[in-house]
Amino acid sequence: MKQISIIVKNAQGVLTTIAELMAERNINITDIEAETVGKTGVLIMTVDQYDIALQALRDTGFNAISEESLLVKLKDEPGALARVAKRFSTAGINIRGIRIINREGGESIAAISTERTEEAIKVVEDILVS
Amino acid sequence: MNNFKLEPQDQQKLDQLFGKLKTEATHFIGYPCNLGFDYTELYPFLHFAINNVGDPFVSSNYHVNSHELEREVVEYFAQLTHAADNYWGYVTNGGTEGNMYGLYLARELHPEGVVYYSQDTHYSIAKILKILRMKNIMIRSQENGEIDYEDLEETIRIKRHVTPIIVANIGTTMKGAIDNIQKIQGVLKNLAMPTQYIHCDAALSGMILPFVEDAPAFGFDSGIDSIAISGHKFIGSPIPCGIAIAKKENVDHIARAIEYVGSLDTTLTGSRNGITPIFLWYALKTRGREHFKLMVQQCFEIADYAISELKHIGQTAWRNPFSTTVVFNYPSIDIIKKWQLASYQDIAHLIIMPHVTKEWVNRFIADLAQEGKQP
Repeated sequence: MKQISIIVKNAQGVLTTIAELMAERNINITDIEAETVGKTGVLIMTVDQYDIALQALRDTGFNAISEESLLVKLKDEPGALARVAKRFSTAGINIRGIRIINREGGESIAAISTERTEEAIKVVEDILVS
Repeated sequence: MNNFKLEPQDQQKLDQLFGKLKTEATHFIGYPCNLGFDYTELYPFLHFAINNVGDPFVSSNYHVNSHELEREVVEYFAQLTHAADNYWGYVTNGGTEGNMYGLYLARELHPEGVVYYSQDTHYSIAKILKILRMKNIMIRSQENGEIDYEDLEETIRIKRHVTPIIVANIGTTMKGAIDNIQKIQGVLKNLAMPTQYIHCDAALSGMILPFVEDAPAFGFDSGIDSIAISGHKFIGSPIPCGIAIAKKENVDHIARAIEYVGSLDTTLTGSRNGITPIFLWYALKTRGREHFKLMVQQCFEIADYAISELKHIGQTAWRNPFSTTVVFNYPSIDIIKKWQLASYQDIAHLIIMPHVTKEWVNRFIADLAQEGKQP
């Protein structure tokens, strides 16, 4: 089952909104978890109609990330992304792209596009958000 | 004239659209498009199927084109960007096509290169990178929207074996920040990179900085490889357009023969707009450099006026030097919608273009102040 991550200011506060949004489109949420990174919330959700859910979330203004990316939490400081990139490079794993998703309260969340293999997950296990 | 007539309901629909556009244009202050243009004199050209298919510098079998004027427009921008004689370019459909052209060239020259771009870069760059399947790493931005040079250096350092392809913003979308080309060159020099490619996204500010004294250098003389500048933004045009310029020696590398039009075509599309080069040529010829200088100066003055008025009603407002983008606190959704403002997280912006007068700013401030009074 595919996974969608949603970056929000207050994870608890938007749960109902997201649930309603999915219900309006007859999308079943099969799993939903909330994590906190600094002052930011990350909702990790699995649904039965991935594409429609992702579109609905983006249309409504949510910062939703597809499952192709690994989300990691980092210190918001120069060189932090470089250090993560180096981990992949040392492990011989190709990265297609790294993108900053959110910066707040001294921490940041970055999305790393790579094959979501067990090996890739292992490389960032200690900082993995989803 | 043809004898075709619209059905009354269709005519009504068209009239409604005209009315809507007329109204919406009176509170258009959030996007970088100059509405102060008049191309009436050029309307007779709309009777022709003008198509600039192919390379404007190579003759083509399709003669209903405006290549000659297009070349003059490209030459004008080549001079503005200090390209000397080593340039090639064309009139694009807008900034995104120019950015895509620059990055396409970069990829052809450096297939294994990694693209570095700041967090404040326009979203179309991310789209282009996906289309071109280029490896990329986003660099954090400073508070003012400018790229963080320390982060750039640290990040390139770990991939010194591959060519860095840098997208430098000459005026970011939200804050109008300018990435300093000299500092970027300094980073690359520190790391002793043997090869590099710098593309400038100068969509709006590419037509502002050349008319400002002491503005940061961003042209080919500062070591860039390609640049995209919009035509419909500061100059103004009813049809989106832009200019892509690159070093000729690099473009020659990707030249492909297209026999169908008997032309060596290195442009991205087949059919190309032949009207917008005429509009741009007309605007450049009728206004002249001194007038553009005045337009830029006037925009800075109105921007400072807007900042002062925003502060007067309790807003936090500021602008980057050399930018006409005024950043302020995110207002209500009603204000965002009415004034067609772009917003990001907790900020929104006004973009002071030549059509925006103090009267426009006063109307906007009145709306914002009124909102503040509501319970």
